[in-house]
Amino acid sequence: MLPSTDVSRDESRGAGPDRAEVVVALAAIALGLFVFFASFSIDLGTGYDRIGPRFFPYVVAAGLVLSGSFLARGALRRPNPSPTEFHLQTSWPAIGTLALALGSSVLLLERAGFILTAALLFFLVARAFESRRPWRDAVVGLLLSVFVYVAFTRGLGLVLPHGLL
Amino acid sequence: MDSLRLLVDGFGVALEPANLLWAFAGVLLGTAVGILPGIGPALTVALLLPVTYGRDPVGAFIMFAGIYYGAMYGGSTTSILMNTPGESGSIITALEGNKMARAGRASAALATAAIGSFVAGTIGTVMLTFAAPMLANLALTFGPAEYFALIVLGFTTISSVLGNTPARGLVSLFFGLTLGLVGIDLQTGQARYTLGLPQLLDGIHVVVVAVGLFAVGETLFVASRPRAREQVTQVRGWTWMSREDWARSWKPWLRGTAIGFPIGALPTGGAEIPTFLSYALERRLSSKPEEFGHGAIEGVAGPEAANNAAAAGVLVPLLTLGLPTSSTAAIMLAAFQQFNLQPGPLIFTQNPELVWGLIASLYVGNVMLLLLNLPLAPWWARLLRIPAPLLYGGILVFATLGTYSLKNSAFDVGLMYLIGMVGFVMRRVDIPVAPAIIGMILGPMAEQQFRRALAISQGDPSVFFTRPISASLLSLALFAILAVPVVRAYQTRKARYRT
Repeated sequence: MLPSTDVSRDESRGAGPDRAEVVVALAAIALGLFVFFASFSIDLGTGYDRIGPRFFPYVVAAGLVLSGSFLARGALRRPNPSPTEFHLQTSWPAIGTLALALGSSVLLLERAGFILTAALLFFLVARAFESRRPWRDAVVGLLLSVFVYVAFTRGLGLVLPHGLL
Repeated sequence: MDSLRLLVDGFGVALEPANLLWAFAGVLLGTAVGILPGIGPALTVALLLPVTYGRDPVGAFIMFAGIYYGAMYGGSTTSILMNTPGESGSIITALEGNKMARAGRASAALATAAIGSFVAGTIGTVMLTFAAPMLANLALTFGPAEYFALIVLGFTTISSVLGNTPARGLVSLFFGLTLGLVGIDLQTGQARYTLGLPQLLDGIHVVVVAVGLFAVGETLFVASRPRAREQVTQVRGWTWMSREDWARSWKPWLRGTAIGFPIGALPTGGAEIPTFLSYALERRLSSKPEEFGHGAIEGVAGPEAANNAAAAGVLVPLLTLGLPTSSTAAIMLAAFQQFNLQPGPLIFTQNPELVWGLIASLYVGNVMLLLLNLPLAPWWARLLRIPAPLLYGGILVFATLGTYSLKNSAFDVGLMYLIGMVGFVMRRVDIPVAPAIIGMILGPMAEQQFRRALAISQGDPSVFFTRPISASLLSLALFAILAVPVVRAYQTRKARYRT
């Protein structure tokens, strides 16, 4: 067995199916099953309608299961699916930082207000992109957030949470 | 000519000072987002929807159209100078355009792209002017069965053409259809798939999905990739296209237009396919095929013309049938719905000021874009120097802002982020996102038309097959879904025999 460094992973791509693709295919099938079984709890309503509100969900459920199966079959059969996928390496620290950025921004938006939340979001996104100038990012993020807040609330009449400020 | 008179009235609307300003704002913004990687016209229009709420729809649509056309011009600049397409319609332009730029012929490549875009955009708009009213008249005869069949045809062609395999397009389409199911059923008033959450009763807004898939999905994807230093080729001085450049460009412009407009107008989705076809055609017809791959000007002129003509073509089914065939068109349909307008044959008689003002503004916008892009391309290219951390930080700030201001709901922001993560996974395994967006907006319409058709026929499903237009559209849809695997199977068999 080769040690699984990033380089060898790329070279050994022909050896097995793309796991991410199989996972996506299974997720599509699972979503289809969910759509199917959850449709039983849809109230049928007053019977004016000949088809009813459950029919289309059945079609969609069937479509998800079928297209997911085709995707899975394709992924298992063709170990090297598409040329655009070569050299795909996923940087998990970047994804983690972005997940933190998104999570904190949902939680803070209505508590800390738009300006602080957006500035933090901007700063964290810049970290995920491996920026080496944290001070610049913090200042630019804050200036942008203040500018956007003022322009959109005063100028365009939108309502944004003011929060702590 | 009736449409000429209406077009003149449209120019009366488009040339009002306020609307000229909207058009100018649109083409400026459009060029900028076309040049910037990571942000495109669909995302920009989606983010501007809340801002235009409650304002004059004519001005808003004139601006949206400017963004739509402008992004097509801007995308080519990035392709040529950076070898990274700014827009999906400019992928092919990068092949020859960037080679030209590296050989010191950046300004000639930029010029043939801008002039070709202008020629194709203008001819495409002329074709739109005459084709749209004709198709609108035909569409007047459409009942629910025909509309349903048309949407199904759109679904099948869009998902089998986009994506590397039909399964990818279909997974994306059905994901979009699932999102479209959420909310209150229009016919019976029953809640579906709301998971008990009151925020989902109104359904999921297409802006939430589009912003999630494009802004957040794209940011996650780009951040997860190893960073390559992109080299931006400098434009030195301004040398005009030589006589030979003109001689080699004008025919590809016209051929690109001839390919782009009809394919854009068919429900096949997007501006990418005509660019591929145009490139292949120019390589075959060229007197210097050996230059292809090393910076042949025909390979820039043709595809650039094709993508702009296709952009005009996409507006034909959108305006006359209410059928969007690209993500940007899907967002524009949502914009129409926001203003309580339903694009389709009736909009031509009920809102002539809007439709013809919009079409006239496309002519105006094309002229503005030529003037903005031809001499100022090197200046625009400075946008490419924005460092990626700041660019993507800004994109996420605007994504959050636009989604929150839809309904002042942090729930929507969270949902948008979640859909963005799905978008990242889709990008990772190369599943196109456009079918999801088109599916989520057309799904409820398909269901409504299907149920209406059956209500009219008193439950007899044969309506779809006995009415001639509906029957032929559905057979085309079946053909579209079967053709691709059959062709592929044939090709692999042929390849097997050879080895």
